[in-house]
Amino acid sequence: MSKQQSGNGTPLVRILAIIVAVLVVGCFICSTGVFVINLLLDNAPTESEPERISDPKSATLILAYSPEKADLITDLTERFNDTRQRTPDGERMQVQLVEMTPDRMVEAALDAEPDFQALSPDASLWLDQLDLRWADLHRADAGDIAPRRIADTVRYAVSPVVIAAWPEVAEELGWGSQPVGWSELQQRAAGDSDFRWSHASTSYASGMLATLAEFYAGAGKTRGLTEEDVLAQSTLDYVQKIESTVSFYGENEAVAMERMRQEGRDFLDALIVQEALVVQHNRNSKDPLVAIYPREGALWEDHPLALLDDPAITDNQRRTFRAFGEFLRTPEQQQRILDQGFRPADLAIPIDQADSPISLQNGVDPREPQTTLQTPGPGVIQVVQNAWLYTKRPSNIFLVVDTSGSMEGEKLENVRLALSNFVDQIRGARDRVGMVEFAGSVYNIEPLALVDDLQRQRLEQEINLLEAHGDTALLDAIHAAYVRLQREADPERINAIVVLTDGLENASNTSMNQLLAEIRRGNAGDAPVIIFAIGYGDDADFATLNAIAEVSGGQARKGSIETINELYRLLSQYF
Amino acid sequence: MKRSRIVFLAIVGVAIVIVGVALALRATNREQPLVVTPKGPIQVRILTALPVEPWVRAAAEQFNQEGHKLEGEEIQVEIIAMDGLTALGKYDRNEFGALDADADIENLTSEQQQALARFPTAWIPDSRYLPELANAAYKERLGRDVYLTDGEYRAKPVALSLSSWGIYQSRADVLDQTFGDVSWQTVHDAATAKGGWPELGGQESWGFFKLVVPDPRKNVGGLTAMISAAGEYYDRPSISTEDVTDPEFQAWLEETLSATTDLSGASAYTAEDFALFGYSQGDGGLLLESDLLNNMQGILNRWGEPLSIRYPTYVTWFDFPFTIWIGPETSALEKNAALEFERYLLSPDVQRAALKYGLRPVNDEVTVTDAEDSPFVQWQDQGVAIVVPRTSAMRSPDRDVLQTLLRWFELNVAQ
Repeated sequence: MSKQQSGNGTPLVRILAIIVAVLVVGCFICSTGVFVINLLLDNAPTESEPERISDPKSATLILAYSPEKADLITDLTERFNDTRQRTPDGERMQVQLVEMTPDRMVEAALDAEPDFQALSPDASLWLDQLDLRWADLHRADAGDIAPRRIADTVRYAVSPVVIAAWPEVAEELGWGSQPVGWSELQQRAAGDSDFRWSHASTSYASGMLATLAEFYAGAGKTRGLTEEDVLAQSTLDYVQKIESTVSFYGENEAVAMERMRQEGRDFLDALIVQEALVVQHNRNSKDPLVAIYPREGALWEDHPLALLDDPAITDNQRRTFRAFGEFLRTPEQQQRILDQGFRPADLAIPIDQADSPISLQNGVDPREPQTTLQTPGPGVIQVVQNAWLYTKRPSNIFLVVDTSGSMEGEKLENVRLALSNFVDQIRGARDRVGMVEFAGSVYNIEPLALVDDLQRQRLEQEINLLEAHGDTALLDAIHAAYVRLQREADPERINAIVVLTDGLENASNTSMNQLLAEIRRGNAGDAPVIIFAIGYGDDADFATLNAIAEVSGGQARKGSIETINELYRLLSQYF
Repeated sequence: MKRSRIVFLAIVGVAIVIVGVALALRATNREQPLVVTPKGPIQVRILTALPVEPWVRAAAEQFNQEGHKLEGEEIQVEIIAMDGLTALGKYDRNEFGALDADADIENLTSEQQQALARFPTAWIPDSRYLPELANAAYKERLGRDVYLTDGEYRAKPVALSLSSWGIYQSRADVLDQTFGDVSWQTVHDAATAKGGWPELGGQESWGFFKLVVPDPRKNVGGLTAMISAAGEYYDRPSISTEDVTDPEFQAWLEETLSATTDLSGASAYTAEDFALFGYSQGDGGLLLESDLLNNMQGILNRWGEPLSIRYPTYVTWFDFPFTIWIGPETSALEKNAALEFERYLLSPDVQRAALKYGLRPVNDEVTVTDAEDSPFVQWQDQGVAIVVPRTSAMRSPDRDVLQTLLRWFELNVAQ
């Protein structure tokens, strides 16, 4: 019976089954087809559709900041992010930080698609540089209203640039009894070979000011500096003479100040920094510094917070910029800024009250500076920057590179890139660079030579040919470089070794004691050699590197595959 | 044909039909969404000159909160802070994306529609001559005005201010003793004193005389300062291209501006610089009265001495005209919503609120002394005038004069 029923129903069931099967399979094919086609169409760029940013609703603002205020801006940003503000469409407002030197910010912001939307360099002069170069790029003629790269600017903290010196050094300069300025500092540096001072490179506002003051003095002017003044031979000669007295150029003023705190008077006699760093030092040190406000005029680090004028920036990112700017200007954060030794942008907050850190007890004076050195236009500033490369104290640098077996693979690959970038950063054709390659022994020495195009090529070739093999004769390699620099006996230059190793010393003939003794002896002479050591990876013998760097007056740093490139770039700023 | 083949072909056929329909729908969607976007609030975007931006922004926030409506739709006002010159440059380069004269407004591409979503509905520049200059640029391009000079949508001032001298009291006292008053000629003589302040009777620590004027490439105030200097140099309120190209005048002006401390033109917010960096950066300067008044108390707090306010012989007025874009880039509803906000700004309460920002009201019902905390009253002893005679107002310069001055500045001062 059931079989018969089944047999009678077969055509209907079969037809229904076929229909269902057609629908199911058809739907599957269709949906797959439509999905694939949509995917292809959505991903295919068309002429009429410009490339869109990944998330048009993004409220995450990437902010490039200069390193001298790393602690302050990191703290303020974390506090802002903790407020968990949202845009009207519900996106979380967030600020992400990326550290960058001001001159690199300018370069990066000139890019059509920069990696950040906002920037906070140490001074507004970089924003002017950026606008000037942006206008040049977009061919604005004089008289036209030039396009600008900066859309909006907010100020939240300022600090004048001062000469920070130990009290007795300041008194020797005349501080306390007469107005002291750049000329007293320059005279002292030129006349006393034991006087040790430093300023950052012209990649920073403080370095720029110190250099500008030299150009003014060299041109015999106190204002109205022109390109012709800067490039006059007599000016260049003067600046070269003063720059030859600079102990080294640091990667930034905060790092130099930290060493001032750690090493005291052995490190430097005077340093050009923003006032806030003097306040911070004096609050954390038993050995205070005094801030000299140069009588010819100071310059201000005004730490602008600026938003780029870029159509790719989303409405929500603009909202985040605005909210962050407003947050920085709230009384609570402004007080926090004052607590860290900066002068708050909110003028309602007094800086001369008893509890203010801007006080004579902290070596600074809230009523200073009385006058400012004239900042020339961005065109002259650019010429000063270029001229400085040809007048700054030249260097003899040996790159000492570990190519032992453990360096094989990505490790060595990244070192090649970092070394290559380091050589790129050495500009002006007045510096001499050589290279010592070592593994189980020192197997190749590229002698010191001026970094002209030829030497650049030669070094590039050497770098590309680096291969990993063998043991680690670290001490022999440093010794080889040190001996060569000592033989040069060149007191006019900064003499330095930048050594990188990823392992433990295990193959040298030179002992640690011998090497340290030789460095101590050699560095007591006229041409000391500073050693910067990089412990690459977790297996590096950092204690050994530290001891060698310390005895030479240099530094030891830890590096990794990820950071090695940036580390070499930072070290290049010392020369 | 076997049944299985028929089934297979049927499946493929159905699939092709469905994919075809899906693609057709997709293509149709690009022009006409199947789902009608629900109407949101009417968005009014206003480019606003920096000196009035804090006041206008506060008013906009209040306006938005009050939930004003037009034709049943809520109005939302968005303020975009932008210096008048920067905005003019963007109009000149058509960076806002105004349509071509022959654009078919009914058939815009989705990209054009998207670009217009950010088009400014109105502009409050520093001075009325800026929209006139924008008009001139667009007349050349489109053959018509984009801002009206009469009718309901014409530009209407919403507040007033004027350029005035702000000088640190200690420095002003010395200038008064040496020169008798403060004028462009006084400033020129102080700027060219080779011995700096000691030669003028001031202290050695003050260094050279330092002048503050806004960067004319970024701030309308900088251009008007140069025009005001020209007015005083020629002793008349109208300046021509011949006047500003006269080598003797240019030499005089260059000497005067050589006392500017920051030629890098760091900021458009010059009065803020003046306050933040104090006498170290500028002994005195020609700035907008409202900016000076806004910073008077802060300057006193930070630097321990007030500013003395003086008015130049030939004053330049800033009238901040509310200017509605009349092109097809914004809808009639948006234009009328902008008009609503304009009326709101002109209402007595909002005009009174402008006093707090150092701005002079344009509504006759409100006077500068109408608020208890009016800075015009507070700083009267420092020279702030309740009434400024308008007989010596500088006339608006034409585009050629402005461009000549800008070119000269860039080539001779801002290098």
